[in-house]
Formats: sequence, structure tokens, C-alpha cells
Amino acid sequence: MRVSELGHAGLRRRLSADGLLLATGPFVTRIRSRIPSVAEGINSLYPDCEVHNADSFYDFDCELRPPRSLRRFYRPQVVFLSDQRVVFKPLPRHQAYPMLEWGMNWCIASHVQNRLVLHAAALERNGRALILPAPPGSGKSTLCAALASHGWRLMTDESVLVALDTAEISGPARPISLKNASINVIRDFCSEANVNTPVHDTLKGTVAHMRPPRDAVERARQRAPPAWVVFPRFRPGADTRLIDRAPGEAFMGLVANAFNYAALGGRAFHAIGDLVDRTRAFDFTYSRLDEAMATFEALADGRQ
Amino acid sequence: MDGNSALGLALARPESMAERNDAEWAAMLGAARETSLQGTLWHSARAAGVLDRLCEPVAAHLEGAAMVAQRRAEALHWELEGLDRGLLTRMQPPVLLKGAAYALAGLPNAPGRMANDIDLLFPRAQVERAEALLFFEGWTGAHHNAYDQRYYREWMHELPPLTHRQRGTTLDLHHNILPETFRVRTDPERLREHSVALPGPWRFRMLAPAHMVLHAIVHLFSETDWDRGLRDLYDIHMLAGHFAEREGEAFWQAFVAEAQALELAWLAQRALWLSRRVLLTPVPNAVIQGLEQARTGRPISPWARWAFRHGIRTRAASVTPWRDATARGLLFLRGHWLKMPPGLLARHLFYKAFLAEKEDDGDVRPEPERHG
Repeated sequence: MRVSELGHAGLRRRLSADGLLLATGPFVTRIRSRIPSVAEGINSLYPDCEVHNADSFYDFDCELRPPRSLRRFYRPQVVFLSDQRVVFKPLPRHQAYPMLEWGMNWCIASHVQNRLVLHAAALERNGRALILPAPPGSGKSTLCAALASHGWRLMTDESVLVALDTAEISGPARPISLKNASINVIRDFCSEANVNTPVHDTLKGTVAHMRPPRDAVERARQRAPPAWVVFPRFRPGADTRLIDRAPGEAFMGLVANAFNYAALGGRAFHAIGDLVDRTRAFDFTYSRLDEAMATFEALADGRQ
Repeated sequence: MDGNSALGLALARPESMAERNDAEWAAMLGAARETSLQGTLWHSARAAGVLDRLCEPVAAHLEGAAMVAQRRAEALHWELEGLDRGLLTRMQPPVLLKGAAYALAGLPNAPGRMANDIDLLFPRAQVERAEALLFFEGWTGAHHNAYDQRYYREWMHELPPLTHRQRGTTLDLHHNILPETFRVRTDPERLREHSVALPGPWRFRMLAPAHMVLHAIVHLFSETDWDRGLRDLYDIHMLAGHFAEREGEAFWQAFVAEAQALELAWLAQRALWLSRRVLLTPVPNAVIQGLEQARTGRPISPWARWAFRHGIRTRAASVTPWRDATARGLLFLRGHWLKMPPGLLARHLFYKAFLAEKEDDGDVRPEPERHG
């Protein structure tokens, strides 16, 4: 069954009882919350995702609820719990939905150990994967959202999974996180994009999420071999430039964006080595999305 | 079966893992994650021949944890090689305690175990010399305020923890296995005298079997924090089982005699009671009676049984969260009560509550925006 088939009431019932078992790519997350904005967010962003029965397996356990402190009576807050344990400091209640997304990302970054996990976006075209590793603020998500609406299959906006033996790429195909100006940029640039109601005054400013395209959700378990690693950088007014990056520097750039490089030691070293051997690496500077789309089109067609 | 019971059974009888259904696995995995026992489960499932009967995502999580534990063990091994060949060669070889000793001795609780820090035991009079030598190899203390220094140097059984300047590894220098202010005083000389050499080429020594099990017991049953209690209980279970199998009756005789000699019969009673109950550890009745009749033996009160039983459960898979939390609270008080005499305890808690600088929990709770 899909989230959209549950109906809003059915969704809220599951969330406030035993939990909603939400399948995103290779993972199932159990989510519990009585907070209305959490149900609304899931309803609008995950309609095409499979829901599993209560007696099935889940990888991660998440809960959002008010903290058990006196403060809740005069300043409504929300805490995120994983495995019944508070993970982050409390946030104002109206930020519950983005907190769920951040918490689900944290679960992947902290609990997935059998694969290399990169802080990066990934998209697939013609059976080959493009990886966009970048720290926050580099315009990675904006580029990812634009590509996901222009012929590329979204694999993930945030957590790239690299198989340790084959270096194959996969991801959970979850909503794309958009911040501040990029929310309207994507609304204008991608006419078919579904972006939910923005949440203001978060630690990152205004935050909204874009629903992953249906095709991306349905094919989320399909892995793809890596073909390109592109380190994006948004600079206002900059010309579109795609420059080769030397393998050594690509390697170090991937290490810097890997969550579990140190934890996996030699295995992670070889996985990144494989990744660099099998891909072409670039630095990409951009300010205009239409030109960026043309550049990646050319890359996919082998014209770059 | 709830996740805590399922995890206990999996540790006690690894072949039972093949019988768990998906929902039980989900709960059990959370419990194993909380107690750092996922890697242990992978190794024991493999040894029991049930690895291929686990569902694919479960096997993947367990295998990932085993890989991370293996990497950690490699790093630990490398660190120990440096210590064993470095400036400490100017001193009598120290006794390696806990995880590092389990790993180097190849004991059956080591595979998949997440070893965090290195613990070395020196004679009281030499421990500060070791600290001074290690300074030149990059090991420095993080506790700089006068109260913390006094707390460790006067009242505890170890110096303030050392951290390696470049690698961040933690190293504890012990001169005993229980605080100086603890309810009973164990004789550290006895531990050192009976210690045995590790297999060559290591200079390090390790505790004799009975002492090693007693140290694992002391570690959990004098503790204020039972968060990873199940992992410690599993150490007790595996070590006792292993030595009993290897040395037979002689091990248990030595165990009872040493528990008595170190004034620890009462703690051993509690540990074996819980280990039998949760992990089905085969302990001969004669051992239980021997400990009861020992001079330092003491009956286990019903409330203590209740607190141990609930306190050992994980939060992740708890089906009785309020009772478990109450038990953890009681164990916290009990740990402090044993650790220091009442006057000193009152002073220590007053200091911690009102005078100590609040520890910054910024690192403990990652900022959510790093994951957006």
C-alpha cells in the first residue's frame, strides 16, 4: 500500500499509534508522532512511497513529540527521538517536519555501516550515476532538484550509498531539501515540481521540501554504476564552468564528504578508490540553471 | 517476544536468532545498537551457522557493525603496538585490562566487540611515572580543574583519563579496579601477582582468569551508569563460560576463593544471579552456595533483584519504560552509595550540582542542520 492510499485520517492513525512504516529505497523507517504538521508533511511529500504492515521489519525508529519539560506549556517545542533516545536539542514546534527530515538523514549517516555513506546527491541517467558531493551552501540541492525535473532520475539529495564491493550507487529517493531563495528558484524553474509549505526561521532560514518524482520513488531500489563525480559550487553571477578535477583531489573531496570513512577504514579507502577509478571528476561553478542543465545533458550524452 | 528478551536469548543461544520474525528483529536491532552488540551478534550468528537464515537487511546491519568493530580492533592493535614498544618499556610491564586484553588474548567475547579505550594497570607508586612518560608520546589529560584532579588522584582508582593529542584515543591509567573510597577495598597487589603474560611478542600482561571475570563484574556492578550494561553482562557470561570450559572445576574454585580474597563475594553473587537469569549462564550451584557462605557474601534483596532485572534492559526495546527508568535511577543512586562514604558523597554531589562547570553537551547532541 502507498501513503496516498492510506488517506489523511489513516495516516494520522498510524502515526499516533504503532507507527507508520515508511519504505524509502532500501530502508524502512518507523515514524511515530501526534504532531499534525508531521502528518501533513508526509502526506504531501511521500504519497508514492510504500507503507509496510506493523509486523514488518524496519531499519530506523523515529519519534517526534513535545519534550517532557515545563517549558512546553509556554513555548511549544519538539524533540526528535531515535530508538527512544533524544538525538538533537529541541526545536520550536513549527519546525517539526523539517526536523523529521533531518532526523531521518541522521539515522542513515549514523546507523548505516555496511556501505560507504556520502553527504552528496545522486541522480541516474541511462543507467549511469552522477554524484554531487558538497557541503551545505554549495547549491547542491538546487542543482539536484533541477536535474530531477529535467530527465535525470533522483536517487538521493542527501545520502549516497556506495556498495563496498562493487562501488554501485543507490539512495533512498526522499524529498529534496530547499532553502531560502532556492525555494522560489525551483518553483519557477521546474513547473511540475511539488514543493511543500515553507517553514520559516529555522537554523538554516526558510526551509521547504520538494516531493521526489513518482518514477524516482518507484525505481529507488535500482542501483547504478557511478560515472561522474561533480563538485558543484553556486556563485551569484558566475559563468557556467565545468573543469576536470584530478583523481587525487576527487578522492580527497569524497573523503571529506563521507560520513563513515574513518569508521570503515581500509574498506572505505578502497571503495572511494574504486569510485574514483570508475568515474570522471569535475568542479562545476554555476549561477544559471538552464545552462547547468545543458552542461549535464552534454555530459550524459558524452559530449563533455 | 520483546526486543530485550530476544536480544538476551540471542546472546545466550545464538541459534535462536533463526527463529525471530521481522518485527522481533526490528526491536532487537534497536536494542543491540544501543548496547553496541550488533557486531557481536554477527559473529555469534556466523559461529552458530545461522547467518544465512537472517533476512537480508538484518544481516546487512549486523555485518556493517562487525566491519566497524573490526576496523576499531585494528586501530586498537596498532595503538597497543606503539605503547608496548615505546617509553613504557622503561617500566615493569603493565597489566592490560578489559577490551584490549580480550582482543589480544583472543577471548571469545572479543569478535565484534566495540573496544573504546585502553586500560592499563600499574602499581600505585608507578602510575604517575607512566603518566609522565606517556606525555612524551602525545598522551595528555583533558581534566584541568583542581576538583577533577583531586577527584581522580585522591579518590578514584585511576588517573584522569589521557587522550592522544593527534588520534583522540583514550587511555586510562589504573592502580586498582575499584575507587579508593569504595565500600570495600580490593588488594591490587594480588591482581598484579597473579597476572599472566599475553602471548608473545607482547610485553603486556593480563589478569588471571578468575580476576578477569571479577573485574568485569566490578565494572558493571559498581557502576552508576547501566546504559551499556548488557554488553558488560555479556563479557561476564562469555568469560566465565570460556574459562569454566577450559579449566573446569578449578576455575570456579579459584573464582570463589578470589572473590573472597578481594572482598567481592557479594558483587559476584549479584552478577552471577543476573547473568544466569538474563543470559542463562551455566553456573554450578556449588559456586552460588560458596559465594553465599563466604565472609563477604550477602543475600540479594528483592528490590535489588528487581532493579538489576529492569536496569539491564535497553531503552530502545523497552516494553516497561517507566519501571526500567526507575530501576536505572535506583542503580545510579546505588552506584554512588557504594562509591563513596556518605559525607564525601554529599560533598561530591553538591559540587557537581552547584559548583562544577556545566559540561557542554554540544558535541553529544549533533546539530540537526548538519543533516539537511
